[in-house]
Formats: sequence, C-alpha cells, structure tokens
Amino acid sequence: MIFPEELRYSRDDEWVKMLDETTALVGITDYAQHQLSDVVYVTLPEAGDEVTADEAFGDVESVKAVSDVLSPVTGTVAEVNEALLDAPELLNEDPYGAWIMKVENITGFAELLDAEAYKSLIGEE
Amino acid sequence: MEQLRQTVLNKAHREAGATMVDFGGFDMPVQYPGGILAEHLLCRSRCGIFDVSHMGRWEIGGPQQKEFLNHVLTCRADDLPLGRARYGILCDSEGFVIDDVYLYRFREDRYFLVVNAGNREKDRAHLTREAAAFDVTLTDRSEELASIAVQGPKSREILEELLGGPFGLAKKNDCCLTQLNGKTLGIARTGYTGEPIGFELFCESGEAESLWNGLVALGAGPVGLGARDTLRTEAGYPLYGHEMGDCRLGGQIPACAVPAARFGVSLAPEKGGFIGREALTRQKEALAAPAGSPEAQAVPYRVREIVLTGRGVLRPGCPVLCPETGEVLGYVTSGTVAPYWIFDESGIPGPESGRRSLGMALLKESVLPGSRLTVDIRGRLTEARAAASLLITNCEPYALPVLP
Repeated sequence: MIFPEELRYSRDDEWVKMLDETTALVGITDYAQHQLSDVVYVTLPEAGDEVTADEAFGDVESVKAVSDVLSPVTGTVAEVNEALLDAPELLNEDPYGAWIMKVENITGFAELLDAEAYKSLIGEE
Repeated sequence: MEQLRQTVLNKAHREAGATMVDFGGFDMPVQYPGGILAEHLLCRSRCGIFDVSHMGRWEIGGPQQKEFLNHVLTCRADDLPLGRARYGILCDSEGFVIDDVYLYRFREDRYFLVVNAGNREKDRAHLTREAAAFDVTLTDRSEELASIAVQGPKSREILEELLGGPFGLAKKNDCCLTQLNGKTLGIARTGYTGEPIGFELFCESGEAESLWNGLVALGAGPVGLGARDTLRTEAGYPLYGHEMGDCRLGGQIPACAVPAARFGVSLAPEKGGFIGREALTRQKEALAAPAGSPEAQAVPYRVREIVLTGRGVLRPGCPVLCPETGEVLGYVTSGTVAPYWIFDESGIPGPESGRRSLGMALLKESVLPGSRLTVDIRGRLTEARAAASLLITNCEPYALPVLP
C-alpha cells in the first residue's frame, strides 16, 4: 500500500492535501479502499455545504456495506469530484488521484498524522 | 466467545488470501483478493467454486423414511425417484419456515438432506423430536462429508476432465454417485447461483482439499460468500433470515410468500397429513385468489424481485413506497449491487460489463411485477421497479441478465 509523504492522514482513513493555507483536497486512503474492496457507489456533498471535522460528509458503498466518510477539516465545500458518481471504482484504482471534495475557508482540523504515524496506526510498517 | 468452527477447506481459503468472516458460527471466506464483482462475473462467464461444507448434511434411513420425510417436509419425498433431488421447506404448524432444504436421493435405501449452516442446531432439534414417532435413523454426516459447489458455463467441462469422462446429469436436479481416486463422490445438478449449468459435489472430508485444488488447477476460480450472495440475489433465490423467518413488519413471513414455495410445497393427497398442511392450504388458496381480494390476505405480503432504476444501492430494511401516494408497501429483504456481462452479437459475454442495484422486497400482495416503486434509502427517495425476473436461468450455457 502507498501513503504519499506530502499528504496528511486522519485516524478515520481520509487524506488531506493542502492546496494553500485554507484550501484542501480530501479523499480516502489506500488502506481505506483496500478495506472496503470494490466501491460501487459514492454519496457526495454539494458545493456550498459546510463540513465539520470528524463529522460525516458523505458515504461510500461497497458491495457488502455502507461506510460514512468523516471530514478531516472544518470548512466550506468548494467543489466535488463528480466523476465518482459514474465511476466510483476510481477510489479503488487511484485513491490519491480520486479526490472526493475540495474544501475552502478551512477553520479547523481533525487530528492529522503524517505518513509514518498513519502507517504505524494501521499496522503497516 | 465461542470459537469459530472451520471447514476442511479453511487452510485452502487462507492460502488463497481470502478475507474471512463469521458466518453461521463458521470461519468462512467472504471474498478472495480479486473481489466480489470479479468473482460474480467469473462464475457467470466461466466457472466458480464455492466451499459449502458449513451447511448441514443428514442421511435419513430406516423402514419409515418416506413417511417421516413426507411428514416434516413440505415437498413430496415418496415419489422422488432415485437419482433426483428436490427443493423443500421444513415448516411449522402455523405455515412459517424453520429452514429451507434440499432433498437428494443418491441411493435406493436412504435419503440425503442438506440444511442451512445457521439453522443446523434448530433443525437437529426439530428433526430429532419429530423422528421419535417414526421408525427411522437420522445420521448427521456434516463432519464426515464436505461440499463444493461448481457453478458456471465451464463447470461441466471442468468436471468431465477431473472425472475422466461424461457423468450424465442431463437435467436440473439430477444426481448420481461416482468414484474419484477410489472414493465415492456425489454429484448433483443443483446450485444457488442461477447458472444453467452448475453442480454440487459431496465428498469425504479428507478428499475435499485435493478436489478443490484439482478444480482450481483446471481453471475454476474460488468464490466467497460475498459473491454467493450477489449471485443468488440476482437469480431471485430466497435466503433464510431475509426472505424467510422473522418479518420486520412483525411476526414471521408465511412460507408461500416466497416464489420458491411454488416448487417446494405439495398438497398432493399421497403426501397425507404433514406439519403445516392446513396453514399451507390456506396460503396456497391466497396465492390463487385475485390480487387485492379478501382471500389473498392470508399471505398479505409477497416476496418480489426489485431493481433500482434511480441512483444508489438497495439495502435490506429500506422501506418501499407507492410513488403516487407515498403509502408504505413493504421493505427490501435483500439488496446489493450485482455486475453483469454485456454480451456481444454472437452471444459471448464480455469484455465489457455493467452493474445494477437489485434485490428482493416483501411487498403488499397487490403490487405486481412491473410496478413502479419508490425506495427510501437512508432518507433519500429513489426509483425502483418490481420485476418478474432479473436473470434468465434456463438457457444454456449462460445466465442472461434481464435489462430494461
């Protein structure tokens, strides 16, 4: 599994890529997509929605189950990746390319780990 | 916590990299590294093999074996010919399902009965109690024997290669005994995938691993419980605990609410009195009554196949509503996403595939196949349709998806 050094990771298996000081892309980690296996459906927020750190902003569904996706940041949704509506499998194929939402006006963060700390959290050395 | 039981193929599953889960008290593979969607498609285009050794296996012998089986099962046992198998239900006197089962006649002198893993102890208690009034012997063969299902268009070819020649079983529900490596092997043309060509093997437990590995070497692919569920759901086959057993609207689901009960319930005079006969007679009359009539209310809800036409994924428990009035019509009993092959002009599947969300729902009896429905998926309303069938299962060699 891959965990790029430049990203930050939440304990709930989301990644954050800061674009500037108050704007970030958010997605799910390679570990998360591996645990889910085949992703078959994604429920996205809408641009303009307020999201709150550690609260659900959408869900991803595998064949077997539905899982909430918790926001790693507090802010306003600027954009969502609508390609995921027709091709949810992108989350499996390219978890760090397939961002889920872009958040702006970020005012707070969940506890975020660097790649090393996240790897040890999930038991991947 | 009680330790999970293992089938004799546990090591083979782990070596193949399976993700294991607790199913009915057994440590079973839910999927292998390829994933549920790939396993489903493999079974539909080539051949999937399934470890079903967790299911319960009984032999019923003795002078009154036919009378006993006619008494505890809803199907007829007395006229089941040698070399044939039949679907049936263990029913209570109220017409509710204790378990659904498969009855085989591999031998002249005894019957063979396969029951669900999760109901093994409940079935044991029921069968043992009812057997007291008959001169029969019940032998639990669950440990000595293992079961492997071999399903899909290539399954006959693969088995013929393994067995060194043709083995018959021209029709669904045919079964026979043969030999493999000097040991007895039971083969039945039965299955739980909807595949037009599919078999279930019964072997001595000690032979299961080499049989499994032999099938893999000939090109069969292991399929876990995840795809077993998507395959049976696409085929519209009921599962105890979803389409049978407790009803989320209260009480239990009547046996005849399930379409499969049409094959599994016989009211023939030769069957005599049996457990649930009176209740099942009322239920069958309800099925024959016009939709919406008072007589139909003995089975007020029926299991229907359902396909999502809007966005999302059907899940068990989702309420189903009337699109015009918003009236609650019932709920989803099984719901998932299943992939399907797109067939080219010459009728060959692939390489492209699609996927759809489908399932079964327990709906008011007046809701007929073809009806437009609304499903409440965690508070979001989306469109669905009741369907007579979502898969054509009787056209060899491929099971064909019924698409809008």
